[in-house]
Amino acid sequence: MGEVLKGRAWVFGDDVDTDLIYHNKYLAETDPKKMPQYSFEYYPGKEKFAKGVKPGDFVVAGKNFGCGSSREHAVYCLKEAGVPVILAETCSRIYYRNAINNAYPVLFVKGLSEAIKCGRIKDGDSLSVELDTGEINDVTSGAHFHGDAVSDLERDIMDAGGLIPYLKAEKGRR
Amino acid sequence: MGKTMIMKIMERASGKEVKIGDRVWCEIDLSTARDFGGANCTLQFDEITDKKGRVWDPAKIAFTFDLQAPSHSEKVSANQKIIREFAKRQGIEKVFDINWGIGQHVLLENGLVKPGDVILGTDSHMNLLGGVAAFATGVGNTDIAASWLNGTNWFRVPETMRIEVTGEFSCGVYMRDLLTLLVGDLGAGGMDFLAVEFVGETIDRSSLAERITLCSMVTEMSGKIGLILPNGPVLDWLAERTGADGDLVRQRVRDIAPDDDAPYCEVHRYDISKLEPMASCPDAPDNVKTVRSIAGEAVDQVHIGSCTNGRFSDISAAFEVLRKGGFKVSPKVRTIITPATREVMAQCAREGFIEKFLDAGVVFTNPTCSLCTAEHYGALPSGDVGCSTTNRNFIGKVGKGSHTYLMSPASAMATAVRGVVTDPRDILC
Repeated sequence: MGEVLKGRAWVFGDDVDTDLIYHNKYLAETDPKKMPQYSFEYYPGKEKFAKGVKPGDFVVAGKNFGCGSSREHAVYCLKEAGVPVILAETCSRIYYRNAINNAYPVLFVKGLSEAIKCGRIKDGDSLSVELDTGEINDVTSGAHFHGDAVSDLERDIMDAGGLIPYLKAEKGRR
Repeated sequence: MGKTMIMKIMERASGKEVKIGDRVWCEIDLSTARDFGGANCTLQFDEITDKKGRVWDPAKIAFTFDLQAPSHSEKVSANQKIIREFAKRQGIEKVFDINWGIGQHVLLENGLVKPGDVILGTDSHMNLLGGVAAFATGVGNTDIAASWLNGTNWFRVPETMRIEVTGEFSCGVYMRDLLTLLVGDLGAGGMDFLAVEFVGETIDRSSLAERITLCSMVTEMSGKIGLILPNGPVLDWLAERTGADGDLVRQRVRDIAPDDDAPYCEVHRYDISKLEPMASCPDAPDNVKTVRSIAGEAVDQVHIGSCTNGRFSDISAAFEVLRKGGFKVSPKVRTIITPATREVMAQCAREGFIEKFLDAGVVFTNPTCSLCTAEHYGALPSGDVGCSTTNRNFIGKVGKGSHTYLMSPASAMATAVRGVVTDPRDILC
C-alpha cells in the first residue's frame, strides 16, 4: 500500500485561469520560493489562501484548471507552498506541461466538477489521497473519488524528477 | 488513413512517422522568450549548467521585449538587463528590444517564421503564428531552458478539429466577431489539447491580420494550435519576408498540406453571412453576447491593440468608425490605442492616422502589449469597466475589482465615440 496523504481541501471551480492562480502583477518575480505569497490573490473568495494554506493541503478544481497564460509561476506558487498534488477533473494543456516538467503531480478526477458544484466536496473538508492508486476520500462528506495519474512519456519525466533531470539522464534522447 | 497538418509538421520535426497520441521529440526551429519569463529562462539555464553551459544554437534563439516595454519598474528593468547580458554572453543576436513591439508579430515581420516550423515562446499566444501554419506554442521557462540545452522538446501528437467557414462578413462585422462566437460556442476548454485547422472560402480570402486574430484566441479555448495554410497574398508576403527562404516557404506549404482523408475528431461549420458584432462579457472570454444586446452599458476606458487585434487593418477599422463618428471620442471615456509593432505604428503615421487620433482625444502609445496586464500603463482601478480588443477578461486581469468587455476594434471604437457600449453598425453602416 502506497503512502496516504492527508490534508484539507481548497476548492475551486471550472476554467481557473492562471491570472487567478498567480496574477500578472507579480510576473517579474524570478525566485519560485517567493511566489507562494501571491497564490490566488485575485480569486474572489480565496484571497486568504496564501496566508491560510498549510503544507499538505490540496488544491481541488473542476475542468480546465490553469487555462490562460504560460507562466510557470502558477505551478511554482502551489508547489513551493507545499500543496502535494493538484486534484482536477482536467488541466489546461500548458499548465499540464508545466506541472509535468516540474514533476508536480496532478490527478485527473472524473466527476469532480459536478461534485464541486453539488457541494460533495467543499472548502476545508479533510481529504485522504493515495497517489499510487488514485483513491481519494473526502472524510468530511464521505464522498469517494478516483483520480488517474499521467502516463506514457509524462510518467517517465515525472519519475526522473522533471524535464531537466530527465534530459540530463537521457542525454537528449533521439 | 491520411495525415493532418500538425501530424505532418511533427513528422518533419521529429524525423519519424507519427500516429495520434504518440509522444515525439521535435527539433525546435526557434526558441524565444520575452521580457516576462525571459529572465526566468536565462537564470534557470545558468543554474542547470552551472553558468558554464552554451546554448545549442544561438541563431535559433530570439528575445522579444514586449510585455512591459519600455520597462515601468526597477525589477522589470533588472530582468530585461539579465536577458541582454545573457544574449551577449551566449552570442544571441536576435534581441528585439523595447522599441520593436509584440514578439510574435516582430518575428513574423522579420522573416523568422516559416510554415511547418516548430517554435517555442514564453507567451501563451505564440500560437497566433499558426496563422502562417507554424506550430508555435506558449510554454513555461523549464521548456525553454530545456530546449536551449539540445534543441528539442517533447510533444503529444494531437487530434485535430476542423472548422470550415463560408460567407462574407457584412458591414461592421469582422474576424474578431467570428472568433468571439467560436469561444462562446466551444467554451474555455473546448479545444483542450487539440490542434485546429481553419478552412473554407472565408479563410482562403482572409488577410494575414485576420488569420492572426483567429489563431491567437485558440488559446482561449485551451487549444494547442490553430493552423491556416498560407495562400495567395499571405503566402507571397511570407515568401518575401523570409528572403532566401522564400522557396522553402512554398515547398513547406506543399509538404504540410493535410491529406484529403486526414482524420478529424470534430468538424464545425459556420456561415458568417448573418453574423453580428459579438462581445465577451465580464468576467470570461466564453461569456458571449451580441454587442446589440449589451448596448448602452457604461464603460470607463477603451483599449484597442494587443497580439490579437493590433495590426494596421485593426487600427484602420477603428479609424473608419472614428471618422464616421465625427473624429471625437467621448470625454467620458479614456481611449488608448496601441499598435502591435513599430512597423504598424509607422504605417499609422504615414497614413496620417496618429494626428487624427490625438486630435480626437485618443492616447496613442508605442508598440507593446500594454493592457494585457495590470502592470503597465492603463491599469483599471477597482470598480471601473473596460472595453478592450485583448484576448482575456478574467476578473481583475487589468486591475483588481475591475471588469472588461472584449470586442472587435470597430465595436471598441464605436463604444469610445458614444461613451457606452455601441454596435458599430449604428455608426458605420
